[in-house]
Amino acid sequence: MSNEYKLIGKDFVPPDITGKVTGKAKYAEDFRADGMVFARMYTSPMAHGKVTSINTEQAEAMEGVVGILTAEDVPEVTAPDAAILTNTPAYIGDPILAIAAETEQICEDAMATIEVEIEPLPFVTDPLDSLVDGGPNARTEGNAYARSREGSGFQTIKWSQQQVDDFRAGKEPTGDFVSEWSYGDLDNSFAEAELVIEEPFVTIGYAHMSMEPRTAMAYWQNGTCYVHGSSQSQSYFMPGLARMLGVETKDVVLISENTGGGFGSKIGAYPIAALPGYFSKKIGRPVQLRVTREQEYYMGSARVGFQGWIKMGFGADGKITASDVFIIEDIGPNATGGDASSAGGAISMVYDPSAMRFRGLPVLTNTTPRGAQRGPGQNQIAAVMAPIMDKAAKVLGIDRVEIRKINSTNNDTIVYADRRPVTSAYMDEALQQGADMFDWQNRKNQPKKKGKKVRGLGVGQGYHSAGATGFDGLVRLTPDGKLHIHSGVGNLGTYSFASTSRAAAEVLKCDWERCEIHRGNTENHLPWSSYQAGSVTIFSHTRTNYVAAMDALDKMKRIAAQTMGGEPGDYDIDGQRVFLIEDPAQGMSYGAIAARAIQLGGDYSGAVYPDDIHEITQRAVQNIAGSGLIGVAKDNLHQEGVIPGLAVAFCEIELDLETGKYDILDYVGIAECGTVIHPKGLAQQMKGGAVWGMGMAGLERHVYDPQNGLPANIGYHQCGIPTYLDVPSVTKTDAVNIADPQNPFGARGIGEPAMGCSVAALQSAISDALDGHIFGRTPISPDMVVNHVMGRDQSFLPLQTNNF
Amino acid sequence: MNPQLSRRRFIKAVIASSVAAASTSGINQAAAQGNRPRGSVERLISININGQTRRVDVAPQETLAYTLRYKLGLTGTKIGCNRGECGACTVLINGVTNYSCSTLTHSVRTRTVRTVEGLQAPDGTLHPVQQAFIDELSPQCGFCTPGQVMSAVALLEETPQPTREEARQALSGNLCRCGAYDHYLNGVMRASGQNS
Amino acid sequence: MASFDVMPEVQLFQPAELDDALKLADELGSDGWLLGGGQDTYGWLKDRAKQPRAMIDLNGIEALQGIRKTDDGMEIGAATILRDIIRNEDINRDYSLLSQAASRVASPQIRNVGTLGGNLSQDTRCWYYRRGLDCYRAGGNICYADGPQSMNREHAVIGASRCVAVSPSDTATALLALDATMVAENTEGQRVLAAEDFFVGPNTHITQMTALKPGEILSAIRIPKKWASQRFYWEKVADRDVWDFALVSIAVSMAMDGNKIADSRFVCGGVACTPHRLTNVEQAVRGRTLSNESADAVAPLASEGCKPLNYNHFKLPLMENLVRRAMRG
Repeated sequence: MSNEYKLIGKDFVPPDITGKVTGKAKYAEDFRADGMVFARMYTSPMAHGKVTSINTEQAEAMEGVVGILTAEDVPEVTAPDAAILTNTPAYIGDPILAIAAETEQICEDAMATIEVEIEPLPFVTDPLDSLVDGGPNARTEGNAYARSREGSGFQTIKWSQQQVDDFRAGKEPTGDFVSEWSYGDLDNSFAEAELVIEEPFVTIGYAHMSMEPRTAMAYWQNGTCYVHGSSQSQSYFMPGLARMLGVETKDVVLISENTGGGFGSKIGAYPIAALPGYFSKKIGRPVQLRVTREQEYYMGSARVGFQGWIKMGFGADGKITASDVFIIEDIGPNATGGDASSAGGAISMVYDPSAMRFRGLPVLTNTTPRGAQRGPGQNQIAAVMAPIMDKAAKVLGIDRVEIRKINSTNNDTIVYADRRPVTSAYMDEALQQGADMFDWQNRKNQPKKKGKKVRGLGVGQGYHSAGATGFDGLVRLTPDGKLHIHSGVGNLGTYSFASTSRAAAEVLKCDWERCEIHRGNTENHLPWSSYQAGSVTIFSHTRTNYVAAMDALDKMKRIAAQTMGGEPGDYDIDGQRVFLIEDPAQGMSYGAIAARAIQLGGDYSGAVYPDDIHEITQRAVQNIAGSGLIGVAKDNLHQEGVIPGLAVAFCEIELDLETGKYDILDYVGIAECGTVIHPKGLAQQMKGGAVWGMGMAGLERHVYDPQNGLPANIGYHQCGIPTYLDVPSVTKTDAVNIADPQNPFGARGIGEPAMGCSVAALQSAISDALDGHIFGRTPISPDMVVNHVMGRDQSFLPLQTNNF
Repeated sequence: MNPQLSRRRFIKAVIASSVAAASTSGINQAAAQGNRPRGSVERLISININGQTRRVDVAPQETLAYTLRYKLGLTGTKIGCNRGECGACTVLINGVTNYSCSTLTHSVRTRTVRTVEGLQAPDGTLHPVQQAFIDELSPQCGFCTPGQVMSAVALLEETPQPTREEARQALSGNLCRCGAYDHYLNGVMRASGQNS
Repeated sequence: MASFDVMPEVQLFQPAELDDALKLADELGSDGWLLGGGQDTYGWLKDRAKQPRAMIDLNGIEALQGIRKTDDGMEIGAATILRDIIRNEDINRDYSLLSQAASRVASPQIRNVGTLGGNLSQDTRCWYYRRGLDCYRAGGNICYADGPQSMNREHAVIGASRCVAVSPSDTATALLALDATMVAENTEGQRVLAAEDFFVGPNTHITQMTALKPGEILSAIRIPKKWASQRFYWEKVADRDVWDFALVSIAVSMAMDGNKIADSRFVCGGVACTPHRLTNVEQAVRGRTLSNESADAVAPLASEGCKPLNYNHFKLPLMENLVRRAMRG
């Protein structure tokens, strides 16, 4: 496409924003259905156990109670997968049963009468406590779970007390692990290194805590289950939801116009989204399940925690020769993770060691279930790496930005174990742009100490793969001349469903005012779209909308040629008309073209469609066939190599040595995500990501009492979500804005690196303020700083996790 | 290690619901006979919401968020935590920000309540804060937005030209998990006619 | 395990006169729940962890409202909201320690309804206790926070007895440093308690935080003239700067004689089950000037007698550092 875009790279008013500021935007809980009853869940009070009896007699006898749903009413799943309801709870808060009643208050009154007896089983809240010889297993089947293409399954892995102690002491782990990958000659590369740094590290997991406690409401009509849900994705949510409901995808309608945050916790269907469907079927009435904030903590997912060890080799010139990383990942009770290997991949991408080895050990705990959380793996390791890079720079006498530039990812970088190319990458440019904007050179020469306050400068880098392919695009031109863009992308609040829809309008040169986006409800005839996650939407759906629009354009020209003579190639478009290039006066309006498409039928009107599109898209096309000119295609555009989303951040903090608190005085974030599609949307992602990084760096963590498995932070207050006053009033952002060759508009995604660079920059700044001290831990809380400054021991054991 | 923690909450709840049920019937009877205990409350009350007097049957223990959302259909007010820990339910009572999840509806009988639904002009024109939040692309997921809007409105009514720091303090009781704070502050400054 | 968040059925009384409120409080006894701003009420009730039969809403009682100058200083009605205290000119002029502390309570919305009496009477935030466990404070016979591996970073370092929870109130710390007295009334009459007697530890009453008896209502807080417009120091260290309770806070009043400290009150919050007076520091600073030397000399006394738990020994240097800062001048 040309550089002179009409819509791409321009700000606009997304169609859903007005509803958000007026309160008219409807979230799942805002819907009601005739005859609807309210459901609430009863969950496990025990970290691990086996339900031996459930007594609901008293509840059922209460006036207004409509029904009870237990594990017997829903499909049984195999451990370690999460069930809708279970009789073998594996964490405090694991759903056991649900009650439906005429009002929520009756529901709660009934809930208070439920008696459930649970036979306790061993439990564990820290992977190392499970790993040590004789330690408890989080599941009766084992304490580790490996997922791989070759096969998945439980394992029981134990380390000797000595091995655990050595690991805590910062030594290279010598115990068993379950996965490994490597490239290059590790031993030689370390041998060549001028400097070798070894560090143990902990990143404690923490809850997503989206603002909207997830609600689902469901009812059945003529064999179709209607679900009002809280979902990050729209179309992508469907197959999983149908599978959980035990029906075909065509028999589910998902309405999810707005979602109050997800951050990875609502990518695909989650079990309780299917609960009201079963309940509704059982009692014959619409059922709405609302969860409390406490329950949102329990089952709303959480970041995987890391306990690890890393060894990095540097040449005298600062070039990284080798990296060896070992990560134990806390995969909760449902063995949901994979963050560790992604972290290894991120090292390969961002720091480009000549040789590398990754070893991973996913360990189960009886803590809240884990899942993807904004940069799962990449952002934990970003935090770990920043102070290590700083230390290397200091020892080697290289500027801290410079050492990152020396190792920066570029168009020739080859990444991951399978040594793949990247589509494009401009880390060096991002670092330079950020350093200039932040005035790094000048700032680093300013005095550091002012009384009991110390300034610290930080630089951080973030990465996440940022694109997927193979999804479908669907557009429709109607006789009124309007362009309808059908989007199955979810509404997570990034506005990317809208900004990617503009790609179709761009191709067809339509005024944005003449375009309408259809979304948010299966019945709006939505194509198969990507998950609204993994930083993929911008890349993936500028492509799908491009191919769908190109299909439409092709058909428009063919119709013009068929109607007015000549070849399709003789025609061009101007946004309102298809015209003869040689005589622009001759042409047809878009509306006339659409009307003609309906008359002609076939692929013009959607009666015929490509056979490689997804069944969800096929149904959408079938339903709108004959209503206009249909542009529909699967994204089969060329794609090879890893699509990187990169970001860098610079920050300055003022750390109070006496209280352990710090103020973030300045923050600059630079996105390297190809062409900027939506400037304000990008700024918003970079700034929101910055806030997330600040939360991870200093505030957020799981806290479990290992004696009973009780979580301490079940509410917003204890979870420590950053407030207005914990983050800078102004955060500055910009973008490198160099087009990627594998996207028709040059764009890649950014949501996740936006956070990784932030947590890394803060860890870097804290270390800088404390003369290069490496805590090797997130979050770094005021008590840790005070203890360090005063020369006191920390309260926790080295590498301890899920604790204060 | 004893995983079998007893939950007092559970046991006491059984007792409590029976007590509560008994006492409620007591109130209703007393009310019907016209000799309610001195100071006890009537259920059918009038409240002034968004400039209109609404007559509504309100239980003694009912929170304002509950009344607004489930009895008056004003679902713009969101419940994020129901604990006064997030601010999504922020409304104005006599012009001052309150968490409606942590306010008894009976306590607003003599006061005026404003919610996000009451900000637009009769012709549909958006309130300057709403318009500025659109212009600055302030919301992300939008769930906290009505609360942020209400805090901003309260600030600007008292301090039409706040500094950015004043805005930051005024909105600090509103959590945004998306981290859109910077954009909200830009919106407040724009709504006050100042450069952000 | 049930999870509740809807208000259960409970009666509500909204008396307009203090006498009516006192009668209700007397009749209901421990079945009654005094309602100020309610910000430490609704959570307990929604959780069904506290089961009062009725709430007695004190906000409509004029006698409990207002900030008045008296012959000996100032009197603040217990139902006065924190917002009004923060904005009151007289308080800001004479007792800025209180307005500073009040302005760091929770969040703006909570300060807009939270009353001074409520802030002083609020229950501890021990997370085990708040979960509704059967601990000492809840009438049981165990402390979950004091186990060998308990998560007790926020708990007490001094003055604990069986229960290791801490006083969460920011205004309590300030009022103790201002030598305030509390007026408690019941149907029989009123009694006036020194702030130090008003806040009680587990040794005195393990299930309550104040000396208020069932049927008693805190009606007013009196601040003596003695400390008006003296030198104050206030600081609160918390994880987040909104909502969070103090990890450690300090409230200091100092009467200066020239450049020397003639008299002082040093009070720490977040370290004990009551606001904790640092009497040894108070003695040590008498006659000293404000200086780095004084700061370093007296700071170590701040943590004397402290017995930290597993996760909170950082509170000791933090207490010392806050004293240091108060003494630097």
